[in-house]
Amino acid sequence: MTVPGVALELTAIEVAHLTSLVEQFSALVTEQESDAGDPAIARLVPDAYADADAAREFRALTESDLLQRRAADAGLVLATLLRDGAPLRPEELDAVSAEAVVSIPLDGERLSAWLRTLTALRLVLATRLGIRTEADGDVDDPRYGVYEWLGYRLEGLLQAIDG
Amino acid sequence: MTLTLPQDDLDLARTASGPWQTVVWNDPVNLMSYVVHVFREYFGYSAARAQQLMLAVHHDGHAVVAEGAREQMELHVQAMHDYGLWATVREAGA
Repeated sequence: MTVPGVALELTAIEVAHLTSLVEQFSALVTEQESDAGDPAIARLVPDAYADADAAREFRALTESDLLQRRAADAGLVLATLLRDGAPLRPEELDAVSAEAVVSIPLDGERLSAWLRTLTALRLVLATRLGIRTEADGDVDDPRYGVYEWLGYRLEGLLQAIDG
Repeated sequence: MTLTLPQDDLDLARTASGPWQTVVWNDPVNLMSYVVHVFREYFGYSAARAQQLMLAVHHDGHAVVAEGAREQMELHVQAMHDYGLWATVREAGA
């Protein structure tokens, strides 16, 4: 299946907030490993076997590569979010520039990195929000709004790709 | 030269070649459209097959998405984890 390219349109304020989110995600996967006990990392590197010993052995072999690939994906996404070579910051935008539309062309590896990173961000946020079933989610928690927004943007990308 | 293998070797051979499975588990976070996308892109399944497998994951809690040698299944599971799906390796019939 060949994935065609898409042009994603976001407002500058969305780009600025997403930049900050992906930077935090990159720090998380760069600095931590699952034995540090963070359930969000554990969700990114889940058990590959029901048997605890087999799962531990598999994780020992694969975890660091898996987290490095998440960091590499995050790096690709951050590069697509730069404007004139610099990251957008929410505090540097005024009411008008915040709403300016930014078009981000995505194809190949960059598109794959976007899909995987939006998904991984949702997995991390879901862990932080305690989402264990589809009915969970505290609508008053601002992070839940971010979680929903990520899902909305991911769905939009998937519709553009797979129709 | 022996023409028959000792029983131990036969058991080993059976274990090494026995069918293993890649199982994808339901989770409340991943979008249905994303799971379909992953099955199409990674396994090369048709849209209909990918949709059917996604629905099996969603309704039954899990689905076997591939079968074969253990090493191959471990590669599939790593790829599924790369995509953010929750997948495990198991022996067929286990």
